[in-house]
Amino acid sequence: MNGVAPGGTHEHNPLLSVRDLEVVFHTEHEEIHAVDGVSFDIHEGETVGLVGESGSGKSVAARSILGLVDSPGHIEGGSIEFRGDDLTEDNWDAHRGDIAIVFQDPSSSLNPVYTVGNQITEALRIHQGLRGTEATEEAVSLLEDVGIPDAPRRVEEYPHQLSGGMQQRAVIAMALACDPDLLVCDEPTTALDVTIQAQILDLLADLQRASDLAILFITHDMGVIEDATDRVNVIYAGEIVERAPTGPLFERPEHPYTRALLKSIPGRTEPDERLPTIEGEVPTPTGPAEDCRFAPRCPKAFADCERTVPEHVSVGEDRTAACLLHDPAYDGGGDSA
Amino acid sequence: MARAHETTSETVLPTESPAALWAGIGALLFVVEAGAFFDFFVGIVADFLAATPLPGAGLVNGVENAVERIPTLLSRELIPNGGYWNGSRWVGTFLGLRPGVAWGIRVLLVYLYAFAFAGWAVLGYRLYRREYRTADWTPRDDMVDRFRGHKWGVFGLVVVFMFVTMAVFAPTLGPTTVDKNMRDSYSYEINYWNGEAGEVQTTLVGEANLASQSRGDTADRVLPMGYDDFGRFHPFGTMPSGQDLFTFIASGSRISLLIGLLSVGLSVSIATTLALIAAYYKGRIDLGLVLASDSVMAMPQLLLLIMLTTVLAGTWLGGIYSGGFVLALIFAGTGWTYMWRSLRGPALQVSERQWIDAAKSFGQRPRTIMRKHMLPYITGYLLIYGSMTLGGAIISIAGLSFLGLGISAPTPEWGRAINLGQDYVATGSWHISLIPGLLITIVVTGFNALGDGVRDAIDPQSDAAEEGGAAGRGGGA
Repeated sequence: MNGVAPGGTHEHNPLLSVRDLEVVFHTEHEEIHAVDGVSFDIHEGETVGLVGESGSGKSVAARSILGLVDSPGHIEGGSIEFRGDDLTEDNWDAHRGDIAIVFQDPSSSLNPVYTVGNQITEALRIHQGLRGTEATEEAVSLLEDVGIPDAPRRVEEYPHQLSGGMQQRAVIAMALACDPDLLVCDEPTTALDVTIQAQILDLLADLQRASDLAILFITHDMGVIEDATDRVNVIYAGEIVERAPTGPLFERPEHPYTRALLKSIPGRTEPDERLPTIEGEVPTPTGPAEDCRFAPRCPKAFADCERTVPEHVSVGEDRTAACLLHDPAYDGGGDSA
Repeated sequence: MARAHETTSETVLPTESPAALWAGIGALLFVVEAGAFFDFFVGIVADFLAATPLPGAGLVNGVENAVERIPTLLSRELIPNGGYWNGSRWVGTFLGLRPGVAWGIRVLLVYLYAFAFAGWAVLGYRLYRREYRTADWTPRDDMVDRFRGHKWGVFGLVVVFMFVTMAVFAPTLGPTTVDKNMRDSYSYEINYWNGEAGEVQTTLVGEANLASQSRGDTADRVLPMGYDDFGRFHPFGTMPSGQDLFTFIASGSRISLLIGLLSVGLSVSIATTLALIAAYYKGRIDLGLVLASDSVMAMPQLLLLIMLTTVLAGTWLGGIYSGGFVLALIFAGTGWTYMWRSLRGPALQVSERQWIDAAKSFGQRPRTIMRKHMLPYITGYLLIYGSMTLGGAIISIAGLSFLGLGISAPTPEWGRAINLGQDYVATGSWHISLIPGLLITIVVTGFNALGDGVRDAIDPQSDAAEEGGAAGRGGGA
């Protein structure tokens, strides 16, 4: 990794440290390297964003942190260290509950045949050993914590009786029932409308302040990343192409892909201008990387980009980018701005 | 909601606690027929233990004798139909009525009682739904409502319910008992009016049977709803041996139901467990189960049945339920594959749902996830396939018994009745094969109709034509 630590310059050991993670799906015809050498760190109490287009491997990366990669997918390399224990060595059960996940679609994260309270108490029973009325009371207080009004009544209700925003709050309450240190949010606001989205983001920020929770925020929405995260990892075709603190990244994106992503946010362009898009689609990585995977879509690609795998190089304080434009060994693009 | 609660309790049920009233009615209904229920269940256990070398047979016999002393309201003793004509009137029958009428009253009352019990259960569900459940609506309500509007399914439910009633109350329903009329017919005496001598005479039941045989066009034959020369009423006529066909069929319904339930219960549990395991773990485990079930499917079921029933005929295992237990085991051992294939799809579908991942993420144990988060979604399919397989099992048992392979003589069984009557189908004793044959058809149709109704209730989009192949698999024999 060229000596640049993926977590930047933190003093303490990170809470979660993902190193060179490889997740491969073996299908009948090909191997798909959905996550190909991803590394990032999350420290206690911070919010780290993982942003990329659909199909870039961000959800698979999130699921592998919880050991939820289903067959035919396998974690084939790298490590996921949580508090120093490598989870990939089948340590997930030892840290169950320390990491919780909130999925994209709240209506399908809740089992429709059980009441909301029933599902929260299920987690409470496993992680806090609570049963009966004690567990119900705790479920009510969790629902109150996530801002559900009239919680004692809502706890008895079935998921279909709640609105989408309320359902997502209930899902967050369910995740909090495990009393986690790290909350993985896999596009938690994508299925919600914009006003509800803002409320959920506020709620997550409040919860983080209240309990020093670390959050891994996965989304394709750059606007959400800007609002919600401290640091950002930009993922493209299974690889992290740029990592940086949120502010500097939005001020001055260094990787051409990040730049293109930021340009395609509505509202950042001049009013009369047509909204730029990135031509083409995310390629499906079917083998080990041999070139820069973004090269075919990159406006600044040059000959070497199709022959060389770019490595992360430092492009500023606490930030790196994997682009030959920034690699002093190559001089194809010339301008690195 | 609170307001609705007040009005209903005031107007409909004049009590503070409708649940207590409902439970009270249920207890009362149960108590009056407790003897019949206990007799049914203890009889099943006793028959099982009687054939096994297990200890406890003596104890169960004691229990069985004790159970027989539990008073039952609708008993043969309360409404007797076994009496005789003394030249001027009927003696020993209920209110001095003709035996046929007395028997009819008893059967009517038993069925009225059974439907009252069913009504009580429906009432309980409505009461729970209206008064006690917190949610106004759950997805299951729609299923129940859809089923109620499904006439074919309701018809199936009624047929199945009547068949189960027949099995449970078999000893009460028959005009006579298996013991008196068949097993031990030379130990019982009956009185009858001898028209030639002009007096009441006494004879053994076995002797009377010999003079009531239905063999072709003989004068002795007794057709359905007829009386024999001894003043005995035979609702379905007599058999070639002179025994009462209705008693034979009522008693036979028990063994059909028992083996059907046993084999379906076993194959359902195997199929469900394996379907959940395959869907949860996927990959190699799933593939292994596919191979295993394909191998089992490749075995010829009929040959296996013939071989095992023959091999095990002399052993104690082959003696349980007169060979029925072995049948149930074979049906389960070969039949789970079809059900597993049908369940695997829905199970795989459920396993992809996000709440499964959510449960995994907070560390729920695999077994609990399968039971709590996956099983509820395939129980509907279990009901459908269970109901349809049960019909198939009943046909198979009858078919095998007809061939002399299934239930061994002299145990009453429907297929055996058809077999016994097959020589007389084209003669005046046509009823012996025809009646059990019709009954099997009706009962199996009922089970299939029930399955259809349940499927349409659970999955309104399902197309009846699509599923016919797997679900409508009839008897193997």
